[in-house]
Amino acid sequence: MAVGVTRPKPGRAPSGTRGSRARRARRPGARHFLLFAAPGTLVYVCLVLVPIVMSVGYSLTDQALLRPTTSFVGLRNYRLLLQDETFLQSLKVTTILTLIVVVVPNVLGVAIAVLLDRRGWLYNALRGVFFTPMVISSVVISVIWTRVLADDGPVNQALRALGVQDPPGWLSDPDIALYSLSSIVCWQLLGFCVVVYLAGLQGVPQELAEAAAIDGAGPVRRFWSVTWPLLAPALTINTVVLLISAFKIFDHVKVITNGGPGTGTTASVAFVVLQEGFVDNRTGYASAEAVVMLVVIAALSVLTLRILGRREVQL
Amino acid sequence: MRLLLPGKATFRPATRSLDVRRSPARPRRTLPFLRRVQTPPIFTRSAAGPQGRTRSRIDRMSWAIAVAVVLAVSGCAGAGAPSAPPGRQKVSFLVFPSPNLPESYWKAQVGKVTQAHPDLEVELVSAPSESDRNDYAKQLAASGQLPDVQIGMQDLVALAPHLAPWQPEELTAFLCPSCGAVNGKVVQLPANTQTIPDVFYNKKLFARAGIKAPPRTYAELLAAADRLKAAGITPFVTGGVFVTSQPWTAILATDLYPRTPGWMAARRAGEVTFAKDPAMRAATRKFADLAAKGYLDKRQIGQDYPKTQEAFLAGKGAMYPMGSWFAAAADQSPMKDDIGVFAWPSDDGSLHLPAFTGGGLSVSATAPNLAAAKKFALAFQLTKDNLDASVKADALFPAIKGYTPPEGTGPVFKAVYDLWKQALGRNATVPAFGWEAGDAAMLPGMQGKFWSSAQDLVSGRKSVDQVLAYLDTEWEKSG
Repeated sequence: MAVGVTRPKPGRAPSGTRGSRARRARRPGARHFLLFAAPGTLVYVCLVLVPIVMSVGYSLTDQALLRPTTSFVGLRNYRLLLQDETFLQSLKVTTILTLIVVVVPNVLGVAIAVLLDRRGWLYNALRGVFFTPMVISSVVISVIWTRVLADDGPVNQALRALGVQDPPGWLSDPDIALYSLSSIVCWQLLGFCVVVYLAGLQGVPQELAEAAAIDGAGPVRRFWSVTWPLLAPALTINTVVLLISAFKIFDHVKVITNGGPGTGTTASVAFVVLQEGFVDNRTGYASAEAVVMLVVIAALSVLTLRILGRREVQL
Repeated sequence: MRLLLPGKATFRPATRSLDVRRSPARPRRTLPFLRRVQTPPIFTRSAAGPQGRTRSRIDRMSWAIAVAVVLAVSGCAGAGAPSAPPGRQKVSFLVFPSPNLPESYWKAQVGKVTQAHPDLEVELVSAPSESDRNDYAKQLAASGQLPDVQIGMQDLVALAPHLAPWQPEELTAFLCPSCGAVNGKVVQLPANTQTIPDVFYNKKLFARAGIKAPPRTYAELLAAADRLKAAGITPFVTGGVFVTSQPWTAILATDLYPRTPGWMAARRAGEVTFAKDPAMRAATRKFADLAAKGYLDKRQIGQDYPKTQEAFLAGKGAMYPMGSWFAAAADQSPMKDDIGVFAWPSDDGSLHLPAFTGGGLSVSATAPNLAAAKKFALAFQLTKDNLDASVKADALFPAIKGYTPPEGTGPVFKAVYDLWKQALGRNATVPAFGWEAGDAAMLPGMQGKFWSSAQDLVSGRKSVDQVLAYLDTEWEKSG
């Protein structure tokens, strides 16, 4: 039983804007798109975009979460940041950590990927082994490494067994702790790099390598002239992901060193932001630090994408 | 047009003009729970071939997901706040786990109170760790989720606006009813006293180094440390963040506070600074010298608190400057009879014992049932069984009028308790620097910086001047 059915004529849109809008809304693709995209979009807007805008607003105030009154202070927080030894130290720490975390897993990742780019159960198993740290919680990884690198942990016990009288204080020596921390992060992120490079290697046409071999290119020459240029997209992905991961690192720092030993020797910017905001109860100031961190990450990411994007070649 | 038929399904004719896939002759069948709802076409069983059926399936799936999400969210919302049974008043209680105070301890203590007060129902909320309990409480307070009652909060200045003040008539049972007051208001029950630090020492290691008696002056302490080091024994066990600062607190107790008991108030008023005060500088230099002479092992500063405690109990060092609560763990260890205690010695041998009174329960100002929360807090704090348990488990000295510790406490507890009584009798207690509460405390966030600075001094990363200047800078920021 059909009531009030008005079939449109084939090939002709119903007259009036309302009709075309209604038809567009009923297009299956658009409706499904809206249905499935709405929750994600809503979450993104509520949990990412709105907090960013709010943070910018808070950064212009002296807000403290536990204090009922808040005053507008303009750019004072940003001016103080430029002279804040703690924040500047955290920028230095984060820069060193980021450099290490971007370079080391990239270099080791491509080497390991080349070695694992073979068929067979052993290589499949090894891929799993390298990727495992990536799927383990950072807190669990941090607790394990804290025990491993303790003064009486297995590493120093092994060194003592080998005759080293005074093994390093991996996490207690302020000159070493940052490098120990960086190594742990590199170890965890290495698996991600390996997998991305393996995917890149599998996209390299075999014919190009064979042609180069026929032209007399050896394995090293083939890698640098054929494989490496074609891995450029993988390098871009890895670099940007590692850059962002390193710059916003918090959990490893919190669990392994809590920013120490001492004042700020391993305190990353993200760690300092949370300390200022939730421990020192200076949310406005912490928001200014967070905004600076956001700008730096965004700028570095865009710069990296532009520089590395130029290297990418199309087959 | 709608036709309601008996049975589970409602048959409804198609009414949407633009749904060209649907046969106008075939009625749509709606789900039973949607009988009286204007049903959208996606619940229509399609008869327009495989493509239409697939789309219809996707449609149904989409709605199923949406309904599931709504049900889940509403289910979660319903599960968040179970109400107490009729006649009982529910109170949430923020506690913290520690090596001395596991979850079972808190449950047992709360159980004793609820047994005596059956009208109270208590829900335990556990902080992530002992050291994070204050930050956790501050975050909960900032987000309006502070549990009704908390124990052992340290940053009272920051939390005070969120805590209910105790009235004088509620504090009559306490020995120091005004301890820890913030702007004249007591927001935390001054329930117990702790001496921070005492110096625990390993009698066997002292004997091995030829030291016959605990040092009574600072010169004797240095001599003992020297003999221990010469015998291949680490003089002081240290580690972690706050443990490293314990000798510094001890030196400030003997060298700074006896002469200027109001130093912290003067710092708050800007009358003194860390860097410009000669007594502060001299005391800090003394502490740094201990590390420079190798009496504090800088490699130990990376180990956490439980491992530091284990190290002393495993005989990996001769002296352990630590709060009186360590007596509880010491009394449970096999070497309890080999552990002695002395007060950190001053230059002239006079007794000055750093002590702190407070650490009890506080009540959220926004507790839904403030009277019940206060009733629970006072009952928890004044129940004799609970006080006895706190003595045995955490070696606390209850600051309650007429209270005496139970029989059967261990030898180390007896030693620290006797030392405190001796100091009280000689009017020789002073504030424990970095552990003060309320108006006498450092500014919010400064305690952690003081502790981290101790690590800088032990590791040699910063000089005394740099550390004191840093503390002044951070103090100004915190103000």
